[in-house]
Amino acid sequence: MDKISSIVNEIYELFKDYGVKKSDIEKRVKLLIFEFKVPEEEARRTVINGLRREYEVSRDSLRYPLTKISELEPGKWVSVKAKVLQLWNATSASVAQWGVIGDETGTARFVIWAKSGKKRVEENKCYLFEKVVVDEFGGAKSVKVTSISEIKEIDEEIEVSEGGEIEASGALVSISQNSGLVQVCKSCERITKAGICPEHGKVETIEVLRLRGVLDDGDRTYDVEFSENAIKSLTGIDLATAKKIAYEHLDRGIVLEELKKRLLGKYLRISGEFRLNTINAKSAEFLKVDVSKEVEKILAKVGI
Amino acid sequence: MRLKREVARRVFAKEFNASRFKIGGEVEREPVYLLTPLGLKCNRIFIVGALLEKEETRSEEVLRIRVADPTGSFLGFVGKFDPEARDSLAEIDVPSTVAVTAKAKLLERDEKVTPFIRPESIVATDFETRDYWILETAKATLKRIELMNSENELAKLAKEKYNTKVEEYKEMVILALQKLKEETEISETTEEDFDDSIEEEIMGLNDIY
Repeated sequence: MDKISSIVNEIYELFKDYGVKKSDIEKRVKLLIFEFKVPEEEARRTVINGLRREYEVSRDSLRYPLTKISELEPGKWVSVKAKVLQLWNATSASVAQWGVIGDETGTARFVIWAKSGKKRVEENKCYLFEKVVVDEFGGAKSVKVTSISEIKEIDEEIEVSEGGEIEASGALVSISQNSGLVQVCKSCERITKAGICPEHGKVETIEVLRLRGVLDDGDRTYDVEFSENAIKSLTGIDLATAKKIAYEHLDRGIVLEELKKRLLGKYLRISGEFRLNTINAKSAEFLKVDVSKEVEKILAKVGI
Repeated sequence: MRLKREVARRVFAKEFNASRFKIGGEVEREPVYLLTPLGLKCNRIFIVGALLEKEETRSEEVLRIRVADPTGSFLGFVGKFDPEARDSLAEIDVPSTVAVTAKAKLLERDEKVTPFIRPESIVATDFETRDYWILETAKATLKRIELMNSENELAKLAKEKYNTKVEEYKEMVILALQKLKEETEISETTEEDFDDSIEEEIMGLNDIY
């Protein structure tokens, strides 16, 4: 009996995304084994083939099961339906395109190898990436598109989850002028000019501490919005301190100057949600590296 | 589709200063890139080094700067069109360690081609940031050196235009790293010396009481 339920479970795993019921699978398996006295292995194969024909599922899609991004496991071959969120400039001749894809369960990186000879994908379009392999790099899951893979554009809108976590490090090469202690509209949080919101006109404003900028590691850039918490852990400045500094100098602009002085051009490591092409950094720290150790490592590599 | 922000590349002064050719800019709105002898295509660069010069030029509205790394120095011009860089530059002393994000440019005059930078932002920074920049730039340069023997299109173009002697640049990277090693070793010993002197100081105090 155990053997039968394990066969049923295995088949169910393969077909559950196609709306096949477990009870239906069990009925078919039991019929073959008990009524027709077919060997277990034969029963398994027959049921799979039958379901495949009935639900028009190709052999490949069983071998490369459709998988949600949050369930990707390194080393597995899968198919993924996802939206291309961001493309980065290729920095190596072996890479045709790379960037970030997302679905309703999260986000992952992807790489299309130059050798795969695939048609180029575009930002904000949705695709079915078939027969791709998953690996992990620096804590981030990455989907590789090789020559056996297939990419098909699909005509459906994928809602990308806001829960996708991403980690990044690089130099903060730019800080937006809309950063610092700024006045925003109470209802939509847009920056106001002389109390005028671009959306709501004359409004009541509130003061918030904001930091938006660009993190750049020499290969790609990330737009980053830092949470107040992240700003505080980097600079010690929170909203209350920012207000105090501004009132002491009778100038809100001084907060932006201070943030620039402390953070512009500094190497940071951040982590947070990736959404709408921006990382919402929940936490941030200055990048710390043992320089002599790293130098030894590189010199050893070049044979010195 | 929105215009993609150009990545700020990491490149040592020696490689940057040997650049003589541009690519791109032929179609409208296509950015112009510098092509370095190691096949780096760059429109923007990020540098951390020593600000050695900050001089007014004849036109007064433009400041000429020089930022040095372990391999040479970057020549730069800060004009009235870069108010952010100009304002912050006013408060920075010479010499000091600075982090610069800049546009990479080529000055072509009388058949002489000179690479230079136009800083977008320039801030005073620390030795730690500079050390990390050297490390990161060394890695990026070695990666390019490795690519010079491949079928990479930019590498092939660079070889064809410059007839690049790769060994020269490999030595440059090794030298930069060795300098960095000496430096960190010095700063580590001084820290120990400092501890020693504190200890002596405390011993001295004990003698008094």
